[in-house]
Amino acid sequence: MSEENKIGGAALLVIWIAALAISLVAFYGLDHLIMNMQGLPLNADLTPAG
Amino acid sequence: MRSNRQQSIRRNGFSNGLGWLLSLLAVLLVFGVTPVFADMGMGGAEQRIAPIGRVHIEGQDFVPVADSVASGAEEPEQIAAPRTSRKDYPNIGVSSRAVVWILAQLHLFFGALVLAVPLFVLVIELVGVMTGDERYDSMAHEFMKISLTGFSITAIFGGSLALALFLLYPDFMGYMMHVFGAQWLVYAGLFFLESFFLYTYYYGWNAMRYGNLKWVHLSLGLLLNGAGMTIMVISNSWATFMMAPSGVNEVGVVVGNIWEVMKGPLWNPINLHRFIANIGFGGAVVGAYAAYKFLSTKDMEKRAHYDWMGYTSNFIAILAFLPLPFAGYWLMAEIYAYSQQMGITAMGGILAWLFIVQAVLIGTILLAGNYYLWAGMSRTEGSKRYKPFIGFIAFVLVVCFLTWVTPHTLILSASEIAQLGGSHHHILGPLGIMPAKNIAVNLMLIVTFLSFQLYRRSDKVATVSWAPIGNALMVAIYVVAIVNIIFLGVYFGYFSNTVYKVGSSVAQVSSTLVVIIAGIVIDSLMFKNAKTLPSHWGRIPDRAQYALFALPIAFTWLMGLMGYVRSSVKTHWHVYTVMKDNSPDNFIPTIGYAGNMITIVTVLFLLFVLFMFWVASLSGTKQAKPETVTEGGVA
Repeated sequence: MSEENKIGGAALLVIWIAALAISLVAFYGLDHLIMNMQGLPLNADLTPAG
Repeated sequence: MRSNRQQSIRRNGFSNGLGWLLSLLAVLLVFGVTPVFADMGMGGAEQRIAPIGRVHIEGQDFVPVADSVASGAEEPEQIAAPRTSRKDYPNIGVSSRAVVWILAQLHLFFGALVLAVPLFVLVIELVGVMTGDERYDSMAHEFMKISLTGFSITAIFGGSLALALFLLYPDFMGYMMHVFGAQWLVYAGLFFLESFFLYTYYYGWNAMRYGNLKWVHLSLGLLLNGAGMTIMVISNSWATFMMAPSGVNEVGVVVGNIWEVMKGPLWNPINLHRFIANIGFGGAVVGAYAAYKFLSTKDMEKRAHYDWMGYTSNFIAILAFLPLPFAGYWLMAEIYAYSQQMGITAMGGILAWLFIVQAVLIGTILLAGNYYLWAGMSRTEGSKRYKPFIGFIAFVLVVCFLTWVTPHTLILSASEIAQLGGSHHHILGPLGIMPAKNIAVNLMLIVTFLSFQLYRRSDKVATVSWAPIGNALMVAIYVVAIVNIIFLGVYFGYFSNTVYKVGSSVAQVSSTLVVIIAGIVIDSLMFKNAKTLPSHWGRIPDRAQYALFALPIAFTWLMGLMGYVRSSVKTHWHVYTVMKDNSPDNFIPTIGYAGNMITIVTVLFLLFVLFMFWVASLSGTKQAKPETVTEGGVA
């Protein structure tokens, strides 16, 4: 907890945005992967491609 | 010199003991495995497979074939499943099904308990060895002490069940004996092995406490669990054979070897489901013991010990419970894949109502487990940081719980249907179908894991430089996973076709698993060498202990309930599509009747558990020597 105080506000904002972006990409990829594995492909906008 | 001699003696003792143990094991394995290989027809599976053209046709009388082939080699008998009539079932004046139901359920409850406890006892003992903390060892020993009486009770109910089955369902049992053959002897042999490992493991605890002998002791625990698990998977194969027979033809003639009979389509899903559920159940029962001991003592040292024991039990119960819905989902998917009719009987007909009761019980388990964790946070000062999250977690749990218990079709009178404009409520109706339930289950599991994570963090402060990054990543994973689960459930569940709807539930489960795995990995790395805040075991409100009592009651009821569903999906078949049940009880009992039966069995089990606790406490009680009064005074 105390470590967070040593990081500036802007840097902290960048960290949070980056973490959110990484998570979004990871779960987006996970959805494609799991649905593809079941023979249910998705379009880029996550609508059914089949 | 003396030290060397002692070491030498210890080493020799160890070598001799291990050699003796290995020899005995080898003998037992040879005798135990031989019938399996013989029955599996190793090198000659075709000998047990009936030739084409000799298979019995349904609708025609069966004539057992006992002649020999032209070569003179003996042909195995082709015996179809018996066709029974009402007179083939002995009438003992009470419902045969009720008798078998009670005995089988009690046997399964205790069986689940005594198979589960040694599993986590072994892990706790191993943790004790790895950390060098003897408290783990003592706790593991105490867990075994509690369950020891359970082994005898399991055997008593198992024996009674076997006698009842042979008495009340002789033709069915005769057929099962024929199908599984020598596997029954292997099963019986495994009990000898299990008993041997159980008694040497328990009574040898203090004799093999340190050094190499400790590893011998751990090995005994491993072998005990190996024997126990083998017993479980063998008996599971009987249940799954009755639900989805394999290795037999359409009239029940055995056409495959024992392995083909055992590995039916539902065998592994049941194995996994029971394995996980048993651990959760075992954790819940021993947690109640810890709560009982905690409440019944004023000694602060003992309260601290039983508080820690209760926490560990709750940890085991809930941790095992988290993946259980996924195993259940796999089982139901396999049931649907095997027979859509069977799946619809389970989840689309009258039995579907039981899944609403199931939701209530699972909600009870999760609420009790979470409440215990929140109450347990009072053990540390550091938990104040996380108190605001509790309100959020409680809110999500309650909303999801209410969503889960919402039925799709309501039981209504004609006037109520007219007033509503149909049997589905226009707002609540959509909450009654699986997409809404899937969202609710996954979110409940995620926030329960969050409770665990916060509890585990409450007595620590991360010291690694990247802690802010770790925290941000963890929060982002939670947020995106929750959004993803809701998106998948709503979009594919309500605005897509059925195939994508079903497929998206796997992606939801994967999202939940990602949260759990990411949480464990990030916290393990982030809190390595963390600053530890003082933690006061025993400093927990008494009311938290009642949550530990609620857990085994809900678990037991839940197991009884779902056991009734699992057995009932066979409808009027002893062995689905192969051997008809023509007994007076060949129908699915009403929910009310089943509810009463399950409640009776649950209450009986809890009474036996209290007896088990009492016996466990008794072993530590020593009566004071009575004072003798003599003429001259007290002697």
